[in-house]
Amino acid sequence: MRILFVMEKRINAGSVQGAADYVRAADVLGHTIALYGCPDPNFPTLRFSSDVDSFDYAVFIIESDLGWMSGLRLPRLLAALPRERRAVLDADGMYNRRIMIDGYDRNHARDESCEKWRTSLQLLASKILQPTPSPLEPDVMPLLFYGYDPASELKADHSPAKRFDVAHVGHNWWRWRELDTKLLPAIERIRSSIGEICFRGLWWDGAPPWAAALGLETAFYADAERLRRLRIRVEAPVPYTEVIAAMSQARVNLMTQRPLFRRLGIITSKYFEVFCADTIPLVMLDPDQAEAVYGPAGRELALDGDVEEKLQQALSHPERYRELVHEVRAHLTTHHCYEKRVQELVAALEAGAP
Amino acid sequence: MKLLLVSTLSQSARSVYTIAKYIQEGAKLGHEVAVFGEKTSKSPRLPYSLDARSFDYAIFVVYESWDFPDMPYLAQLLDSVPKDRRIIIDCCGRYNDTIRVEHDFNHLERMDGHQGWEWVEGFEAVSTKILQPTLTPLRLGVRSFLWHGFDPRGVAREYTAAQQAAQIWAADGKSYGMVYVGHNWQRWSQVGRLLEGLEPVVREQLGPICLAGCDWDKRPEWAIQQGIKGADLDTELLKRLGVEVRSPIPYDEVTEFISKARFSPVIHRPLFNHLRMVTNRTFSTFCADTIPILMLPEDMIHAVYGPEARTLAIGDDVAGKLSDMMRRPEVYWDAVLKTRAHLTERHSFSQRFKELIAILES
Repeated sequence: MRILFVMEKRINAGSVQGAADYVRAADVLGHTIALYGCPDPNFPTLRFSSDVDSFDYAVFIIESDLGWMSGLRLPRLLAALPRERRAVLDADGMYNRRIMIDGYDRNHARDESCEKWRTSLQLLASKILQPTPSPLEPDVMPLLFYGYDPASELKADHSPAKRFDVAHVGHNWWRWRELDTKLLPAIERIRSSIGEICFRGLWWDGAPPWAAALGLETAFYADAERLRRLRIRVEAPVPYTEVIAAMSQARVNLMTQRPLFRRLGIITSKYFEVFCADTIPLVMLDPDQAEAVYGPAGRELALDGDVEEKLQQALSHPERYRELVHEVRAHLTTHHCYEKRVQELVAALEAGAP
Repeated sequence: MKLLLVSTLSQSARSVYTIAKYIQEGAKLGHEVAVFGEKTSKSPRLPYSLDARSFDYAIFVVYESWDFPDMPYLAQLLDSVPKDRRIIIDCCGRYNDTIRVEHDFNHLERMDGHQGWEWVEGFEAVSTKILQPTLTPLRLGVRSFLWHGFDPRGVAREYTAAQQAAQIWAADGKSYGMVYVGHNWQRWSQVGRLLEGLEPVVREQLGPICLAGCDWDKRPEWAIQQGIKGADLDTELLKRLGVEVRSPIPYDEVTEFISKARFSPVIHRPLFNHLRMVTNRTFSTFCADTIPILMLPEDMIHAVYGPEARTLAIGDDVAGKLSDMMRRPEVYWDAVLKTRAHLTERHSFSQRFKELIAILES
């Protein structure tokens, strides 16, 4: 099968690493996956094609913005592939009815926006897929989409020197409340016993200038002064090709998820990337959810409840935690490798509508 | 016939003036013209419709990628109007190979996120009929259709003879010596040359100069950050000449504003000069009670405005030409009136509308 991914190319965010893994895994299985566009030296691991007519299906990978899918770009795709051969991966749950979590995180600020999204996605494709095992909407098909690539595991002997005890690699997008109420107080209590801490990504030093106009100040809110007091250094994001190496610079990596995604059970590429790094991942998930994705050992890596205790344990008993990581990697290789994901995608595209 | 115009409107840019004229002219000729979109009470106050099925043709008037509607409207529109009933008016020469003229361009991914091939394939996906407002399209298959036009009824002040016009013009006590209404996008190379050239005559003879539009006060932040040339300035020169800088003028006030000046230049961006493309200002400047100064390629002046308009070309000796215009205004008003007559005969909106209908029915 020939599948064309249509997505916004973001070098340091979104689904670009996942797309690169699909390209590789599809080749192994005799399928062909490419991204819509022309070759771009900034994305060396991706295959591009603009020969739309030569593909069997188009999969629109959509996050929280439709703007990149310009009216100039779309007609070519809509004309070449009929709606029955188009699917949407709704990575951020935007197709759901309006949801707000604890007066904070949300998929839509207003009902009108929600309706516009729903109509747009329905017109765009006959199938809406979401990376969650249990979509809330009856006409959405579950497809975890993101997966694990064992070949990307960075072995200790190839790993960069450890610059940090603790790192968080990711952007500040609906993260602050959880960090502010759970993680940072725990770090505060044990700060003197931890070495360097680094948050690597965008918007940890404040909201971008355009956030207010979009009503998104809360999504990007961060108290830079509090981070400074806790001696948490902030560094710029890295391109998708360097994420695993960047994570490997820390003994422990924290994986966080925005509250909306936790509620919807949405999986992201970060779930798996962090297990490719030479580090001990601690995931801020409910233990049940961690076990569901990572297997039994994942429960032990869930950062839930006594945060400072687990952080200290991971730093002071790395061997024990490396065993857990090893078990999780084996589980991910069996259950979540990209070859399996490609097969699931092909099956979803060939299946009847839900 | 019912025509649906698809474009993103602005109060002071692109085709809003022309679209408003097509709506008026269409009504006079017994046609119905509306703009695709939700009804709004905001300006520009024009008829809007989302009921694309009830129209015979959809006419995409394209400058930028965002002139195509967003989702879901785009899909609804494409589903409602079949391809052979869609037409594109390519106002910026996007449907060409990539062209660079000075630092002007028709495609730049850094600017709008689209590479050249996307413009070509995107246009071809929407329609088989692509028109460009030039007499000489470069690309095979593109039809010439000037789109913009002249509104004889929009002339600010009618004159029966050049002598009368020159006398009133000389005695009028206009607020400005020269006014240019338009944004500073790819205009500075020519505006700068004009200002430098007329510096010797400014203080004693010409009177105040005004530039009205976006980005005449400073280079915009986005251009600095992205390293994009095309909204350049010489603030020292502007200061030296005491040039007044104003915000954009709404499309329905432009003629009145330009009429406050003795002269108004007609300037096209370098890309448009290269492609010999016209804009609404090509024609509408001749509605104002002013002497237009033509800064366009000679062959284009002749082809669009007729032979008399050559007198209004600025040439290389800017100060000399301006001085002569002020000394012998009757000669130049004669050229203005004859050019208006030529535009009325060849380029009126009524004429243009009929040409459009002929293309649609062909």
